[in-house]
Amino acid sequence: MKAKKFFLRWEWLLVLLILGTYAFFSNKMPGIYTFSKLLDQTRVYMVDVGFMALGAMLILILGDIDISVASIAALSVTIMAVTYNAGEGIPFIAAIVLALVVGTVCGLINGILVVRFKELFPMIITLSTQTIYRGIAYIILKDQSSGGFPQWFGKELGYGKVFNETVPIMLICLLALFPVFYIWMHHTASGRRIFATGTNITTSHYSGLRTDRTKVILFALNGLLAAVGGIFLTARTGSVKYTIGTGYEMQAIAIAVLGGASTAGGKGSVIGVLLALILMTCLKNGLMIAYNDSFILNLSIGVLLIAVVLLPNIAGKIKQRRQLIHQRVSTAR
Amino acid sequence: MQKDNKVRMPWYSLFIKYRELGLIGIILLLVAVVSIVNPLFFTGEKMLFIVEDTAVMAILAGGMLCVMLVGSIDISIAGIMALSAMVSGIIMREHLEVTEVTRIIDGVETVMNAKSSVPLIWLILIGMGVGGLCGLVNGAVIAYGNVLPIVTTLGMQYILYGITHIVSDAKAVYKKDMSDVFVQFTRAEFLGINSKTWVMILVLIILYIFLTYFRTGRHMYAVGSNIEAAEMRGINSKKSILLAHVIMGAVAGLAGLMFASHDTKVTQDLKTGYEMYVIAACVIGGVSVTGGSGKIPGVLLGAMTIGVINNGLPMLKLTGSAEFWKKLIQGALILIAVVSNVLMQRAMIKQNLRRRNI
Repeated sequence: MKAKKFFLRWEWLLVLLILGTYAFFSNKMPGIYTFSKLLDQTRVYMVDVGFMALGAMLILILGDIDISVASIAALSVTIMAVTYNAGEGIPFIAAIVLALVVGTVCGLINGILVVRFKELFPMIITLSTQTIYRGIAYIILKDQSSGGFPQWFGKELGYGKVFNETVPIMLICLLALFPVFYIWMHHTASGRRIFATGTNITTSHYSGLRTDRTKVILFALNGLLAAVGGIFLTARTGSVKYTIGTGYEMQAIAIAVLGGASTAGGKGSVIGVLLALILMTCLKNGLMIAYNDSFILNLSIGVLLIAVVLLPNIAGKIKQRRQLIHQRVSTAR
Repeated sequence: MQKDNKVRMPWYSLFIKYRELGLIGIILLLVAVVSIVNPLFFTGEKMLFIVEDTAVMAILAGGMLCVMLVGSIDISIAGIMALSAMVSGIIMREHLEVTEVTRIIDGVETVMNAKSSVPLIWLILIGMGVGGLCGLVNGAVIAYGNVLPIVTTLGMQYILYGITHIVSDAKAVYKKDMSDVFVQFTRAEFLGINSKTWVMILVLIILYIFLTYFRTGRHMYAVGSNIEAAEMRGINSKKSILLAHVIMGAVAGLAGLMFASHDTKVTQDLKTGYEMYVIAACVIGGVSVTGGSGKIPGVLLGAMTIGVINNGLPMLKLTGSAEFWKKLIQGALILIAVVSNVLMQRAMIKQNLRRRNI
């Protein structure tokens, strides 16, 4: 029974989809769609959005939603660029630290607003802070772009690879985060408390969990992760504009949902997010090579998103109905 | 026990009783501020223009009200608008007939091209039908597939843009493909008021009557307030949710056509990101995101607030670096409007508690 439950887990569906996608595309385009190319493309499709997806998962587990992450990322890297270019002697590390602080503060503001105004849906709050944060970035940068970062930032962090020039450094940075998150979310008390808060906030509150504090901290952490994602995005693109990362918030949420998170809260898994990221990378890379068309790409992501969430529900319903019929038959006897 | 029931009401109690009054106050304040900086703003013509400019948003907000009443949300309306406008546009392009007509302009005979195509009413019906179909898919997945609304419509947004791209073959519909009647659709005037305003009034009145006096409309409030209680009373909640999404889709189809006629262009990424404005308009207008409360007049005023902000900011004559503050001001005003709404709600609850006769 336990083994059956283990194999019925959500993650196996994602594994199957990854294998299927990989087999399909490498069959269709042998030599073009290879594992090493895929590893290289993780820089584009996986790393920067990966940090934001982890943050989105945290917020979704709480039962909230945050659509301001892309704006937080934009504001953080804007401040990073402006600080670094402000004077001669400013070390780049200081600018990066400042960016991380800005991201955390933005997330903190979101969290405090969400906790203080419980009547408002977090989507509305983050909708307005989304405009505000990007508006601040717009005020700072105007419609110019800023760049001129130190060489190591782009060359090593953005394009550098290790292990015989195969694995991007960015990817290792992202992957290093997953074990930490896995242990924290699934094997420590504080991680389980987050799930408890998301499942039933009233019960958790009455059980003595400090739900408000958890929420504020997680929103701040989400802001920090967004800033990290923004920094990696900047490392890859090399310059900052106020429009940087537009639309990433929806991608992050889509990946978190694919990874098993539910917008109703209390559900989500770190491994699921990792697998969803890998699946997206396989799919996006293949579709981009095959069609070179972002609309087709988005179309298939949309179909995948709905299908993956819809199918288990339908399967559950059929199972329920079958059980019901079974019950009726046995009572009739 | 005889007790004096008259507790002294605080000064803001009138605003609490009629929540729309507060919104009117905010709108008047905004108009006053802009008019002081730029007196050109406070003219009847400009006010009418703001209403005309916000009409489509108000129509969409009316549809969004239905969806939010049943506790759902639709962030795929931009995709629905793009697809239905594109389908209508392509049908119009296929049936376009260009005839040469001689007209007398200023006493000179001029040869003009008159473009005619499928009658306007058919185009509107097709657009609304396509939109309704998209809404039907949304509603079916949400109500019968038990998928959360945000996830469904987020996925649908991607899908609809993709389908629009495939249907249009990556080609936009331009003014040369549009019939004269269609171009005039949003430019015609009746009694000195633009047709967009008239369409808005018509749609909002229909929705108001539907939501206030029809049983199916009232069911939506019931489903949004307490879905279990509604089901125990024999209301088919799934049907209500489905219907709300179909209405939203049909309204979005109409809005898409209005945008197409207004911009005289249908591209495959028509009005990306517009859904956020519409949701903001609804929330400012006092619609609860958890469902069950909200009125058409509130939604109309919410849309008008955003319209005044959008039209007023350029009139502030922000030049130089101040130009870049617009985005920030927009976001901050939305936040202020929403938060003040909540504070008012809290005051209302407090006041109701005080008025209890214990």
